[in-house]
Amino acid sequence: MSDRVMIFSQRNLKELMRDPLSYIFCIGFPVVMLIVMTAVNESIPPQAGMTVFQIQNLSGGIAVFGLSFVMLFTCMTVSKDRSGAFLRRLYASPLKGAEYVSGYTLPVMVIAAVQTVITAAASVVIGIFQDYTFDFVGLICGMLMLIPIAVMFIGLGLLFGTIFNEKAAPGLCSIIISLAAFLGGEWMDIEAMGGTIKKICDILPFYNGVKAMRFCVAGEFSEAVTPLLITAVYAAAVFVLAAVCFSKKMKSDIR
Amino acid sequence: MEYAIEIKNLSKSFSSKKAVDDISCKIEKGQLFSMLGVNGAGKTTTIRLITGLSKPTGGDVLVYGKSVNSQMEEIKPLLNLSPQENAAAGALTVWENLVFMARLYGFSKADAEKRARKLVEDFSMESELNTKAKTLSGGWQRRLSIAMALVTDPKILFLDEPTLGLDVLARRELWTVIRSLKGKVTIVLTTHYMEEAEALSDRIAVMTKGKIRAEGTLDELLSATGAPNLEEAFIKIAEEDKNNV
Ligand SMILES: Nc1ncnc2c1ncn2[C@@H]1O[C@H](COP(=O)(O)OP(=O)(O)O)[C@@H](O)[C@H]1O
Ligand SMILES: [Mg+2]
Repeated sequence: MSDRVMIFSQRNLKELMRDPLSYIFCIGFPVVMLIVMTAVNESIPPQAGMTVFQIQNLSGGIAVFGLSFVMLFTCMTVSKDRSGAFLRRLYASPLKGAEYVSGYTLPVMVIAAVQTVITAAASVVIGIFQDYTFDFVGLICGMLMLIPIAVMFIGLGLLFGTIFNEKAAPGLCSIIISLAAFLGGEWMDIEAMGGTIKKICDILPFYNGVKAMRFCVAGEFSEAVTPLLITAVYAAAVFVLAAVCFSKKMKSDIR
Repeated sequence: MEYAIEIKNLSKSFSSKKAVDDISCKIEKGQLFSMLGVNGAGKTTTIRLITGLSKPTGGDVLVYGKSVNSQMEEIKPLLNLSPQENAAAGALTVWENLVFMARLYGFSKADAEKRARKLVEDFSMESELNTKAKTLSGGWQRRLSIAMALVTDPKILFLDEPTLGLDVLARRELWTVIRSLKGKVTIVLTTHYMEEAEALSDRIAVMTKGKIRAEGTLDELLSATGAPNLEEAFIKIAEEDKNNV
């Protein structure tokens, strides 16, 4: 990888890490949600058979939910840069199209990784209070299963940040965040709902991302393969699209 | 002789609007060349065309003999610019912005820091070293922006309206900084302030409506128009253009 990518990545990481919102949304929020939803779970009578908020299922749901916020941050970084004079000044530098894309992606990958580890660690701690012991290997595998969905969310962030302006882009991300939460089975039991909703969720990447982690946590590794592949296809498609759009947009900015 | 910049029948149209209209001129190495003109004259567009931030719709520019149309990647390392708007990374400090820029243009970490230290000294920025760019005052932001351009050791430095929006003291300080650069690097400066062009330039090109109407040293412009000062000369040159249309 070129030095230029690393140098631009470092700048972007600094820019992200100096924004207090990054900590609130990317790190604090998932932990708070884990605690809140665990509390909600406590007040659900066992007869209800509601399992989505049990920590072994909740961890996957919140991990994917958290990654959707990484999308928002990617998008905000890119759209903010595009509206400012700094990025346009860089267009006159030796930094090239693909290097911008890598330079934006690497730092948010780091944030996604840190966030996922914190979410997992918090889940383990909550598990202790809930009398649930996470299988270490299952949890690690589960986290790795999230790489494609993370790439997909980052790709979406890059795409929205490239196509839309600073005002419109975050709003669009919010819509995707809500959509991902509902269709990702983070707040409801998709399996129990069945029907059209389940079919839609099975096609879209969000629920597959959640399932891939949940299956691993449950030790059902072979079950995780199909959801993993589905998210990987989405990730590749979205990311390539985002990279192409960014390079196109950059060329059209230089008119 | 090879010129720093050779503009050859350069044009740029935005749909039907001719922002730059068939201009030609040569800029010698080491000179401070000013483009003087009112808002909308085409100064920024000309700079964007030379620095690769825009593509000509006609003509060419040779930078150290290399064409902006076909050899922009080779030209890029030779140039840097301080754009009309303040353009530093807001969350980075003055020091970090300088090192970032130098490294992006290929300097090693040690060399980048060495160059940044030199610029901090030359621009007397010691007091603001650890201030984040977005919290700097207008004068300091402009100074940083120019330092960020110089830290990459360009052969040609473009300053687009460097003192726009600055108070009179900040402007004078920046003039001193710019004067200190004369001879060390070729400078292309745009301005709509007569006194700025008068105070700093080796040569001045008067631009109106996308065209260069006159070009020469201050004395040459004055004697050609018979005007007592640049402002009068500018007005005469601009009026002449009106009479011709
Ligand atoms: N991207 C653009 N699209 C359309 N018109 C433009 C664009 N950039 C500049 N222009 C027009 O070109 C003319 C010259 O602009 P500019 O080069 O910015 O002038 P100056 O820097 O001398 O004030 C102006 O009339 C401006 O409106
Ligand atoms: Mg301008």
